Amino acid sequence: MPRIFVKNELGTVQFSSGNFLAEICLPFLKSAQNADGGWGFRMGAESRVEPTAWTILALAGLDSQAEIVSGGLRFLRSTQLPDGSWPASPGQTVGCWATSLACWALGHDSESQTALTTGLQWICADWPKDLNFVQRLIRRIRSLAKREVVSQQDDSLRGWGWTPNTASWVEPTAFGLLAVDQAPKDLLPAGAGERQRLAKSMLYNRMCPGGGWNCGNPMVYGVAGDPSIPQTVWALLALRNEPSGEPQTSSLQWLGKSVTGAIGIGSLALAKICLETYGREFVNAENRFRERYERNGFLGNVPAIAWTCLALGGRSGSWLKRGNT
Amino acid sequence: MQTAENALVPPFQRPPSQVAIRRVASYEADLFELIYETLREFVERDLSEETANKTGEISAAKKSRSLMSVPGKTVLLKPNFVGLDLLGCMNTHPAVIAAAREGFLKLGAERVLIGEGPSMDRDTEAVLESVRLREYAGRLNGGFVDLNIDDVQRVPLKTRASKLKELYFPKTVLGADFVVSMPKLKTHHWAGVTLSLKNMFGIVPGGCYGWPKNVLHWAGIDNSILDINAVVRPDFAIVDGINAMEGNGPIQGTPKQANVLVFGNDPVAVDATCCRIMGLRPEKVKYLAGAGTLLGHLAAQKIEQMGESIATVRTPFAVLADFAGLREDRVGHRGAESTEREGRPQGRG
Repeated sequence: MPRIFVKNELGTVQFSSGNFLAEICLPFLKSAQNADGGWGFRMGAESRVEPTAWTILALAGLDSQAEIVSGGLRFLRSTQLPDGSWPASPGQTVGCWATSLACWALGHDSESQTALTTGLQWICADWPKDLNFVQRLIRRIRSLAKREVVSQQDDSLRGWGWTPNTASWVEPTAFGLLAVDQAPKDLLPAGAGERQRLAKSMLYNRMCPGGGWNCGNPMVYGVAGDPSIPQTVWALLALRNEPSGEPQTSSLQWLGKSVTGAIGIGSLALAKICLETYGREFVNAENRFRERYERNGFLGNVPAIAWTCLALGGRSGSWLKRGNT
Repeated sequence: MQTAENALVPPFQRPPSQVAIRRVASYEADLFELIYETLREFVERDLSEETANKTGEISAAKKSRSLMSVPGKTVLLKPNFVGLDLLGCMNTHPAVIAAAREGFLKLGAERVLIGEGPSMDRDTEAVLESVRLREYAGRLNGGFVDLNIDDVQRVPLKTRASKLKELYFPKTVLGADFVVSMPKLKTHHWAGVTLSLKNMFGIVPGGCYGWPKNVLHWAGIDNSILDINAVVRPDFAIVDGINAMEGNGPIQGTPKQANVLVFGNDPVAVDATCCRIMGLRPEKVKYLAGAGTLLGHLAAQKIEQMGESIATVRTPFAVLADFAGLREDRVGHRGAESTEREGRPQGRG
């Protein structure tokens, strides 16, 4: 059996469950790397920033993968736009949420500090286009006139949108928080702290009744929205250094129950990462990953495979540091 | 797939469209037989039109877009998958999708792909598992394309109904020879109804625009629907209205049995017919009114009805107060619309 190692702050320790990782995940990621150094969302697809960033984060701590990671970092540096952001797909000339993921991935590389600095500046200057004061007032008056509440969210709490000039959503907000949180403190632009404060408040405000998060609509026309695993995980990870309170407790409870349902392998991996980050146990992981893999084979989804690598790396991985908060 | 060049035709230049309504008791029915026979009926109709045509041949443009063109081609079925659906009224039922796939294969299609890009949840595998596609359509790895993460191609928008100048579309969609929109029959809290045209929102890739594709909301939902369908106008539509959804759709509405499948070679005509089945006025649905000027027929007199008549399957749907004006029985009662309260959702689960 190949021996897989991961580095952490205490030294180098062996993976707790190397089989699935070594036999399935790592060979897949290795063979899915394109000649330009990046990864597509699927094997054979054109390189994109998001899957490349996830794969770098997944492989960055592995001794045997340094050359592969170096190619990925090269791809990220080469695709940065002049304004410091990263596009979602080749040819696009405006940045998006992928900028947060690229910055998070580049944070591990000493050669990428310039790219990282401009990327962080873009993130902190990229304000979403939530409803302004007048629009919020009009909505409030309409709700009162119709005696119905369309939404209870507070649009003055702003996080990050998926793309410029769109509203705040849970996932890109969590990515923005994690990018800022994981960056070297001396590279953060002024105002980063205020963005973090607002974004965290926005996440708390958008939590679903009863715990967990969905894309960002906790209530629609007075009806509670259902939470979803990926968004819940990213929100909880972004809030992991916050004082533990009811939002974390109820959301972790929801997450713990949800992993027993019919979920994809990507969600399974994210749930394991999150629960273990919060000190919860995740039992029988190796078998559950194998079962999902044998059923649908990851659907070829590179980010899902990268998250599985991170999940099987255990809490000792260096990809998610204590951070700036 | 119909490209912008041949999708945009004003109604007076467009030949009549055909729509078939089939009554279906449940998903346990022999859906393959029903769907295949209905597709065959469309082919027969095209063939008879070709024979009857005095020039001796159906126009090449029409032929290339009809079911007659399917043999040897790649067909893409675009269902509507939203997420976990405990009440069975949110997603296109996998039995309908599997039967349609078999039907198109029997018509001679070289391959039939199923493609969807769920809007709210990026765990597509979980969405597919929750809709039980695998149980009906076999292994997911191969026959299903996650349009959210497909390779993409930039397409300038010629219609410019919205503020968007361009959109990136999945290459699988742009490369398909024949696109079939397969929505669920539902009312929608922002657009009024969601049918075969609105279903095409799902081809816009989350990998470029996020989950949800919020750029489309900011550009205007109604106008974005027009822009998308002007680029990728479905060649055919099959609407799953067996178990449908009313009220606060497309996610939090309440189940409604309509017991129909609606087929057609014009997505606008299909959606207009579905509205009439739901007791709604299609010309009052903003994006349908726009679509009726360039993308297909809205007027009943331009739609050749096959199968059941609308009257025999008509099942009035509840709508949110904001859309009370869509209801056929509200004609002349606009003053009462602002306080309309019926159709309020009770929520799911």
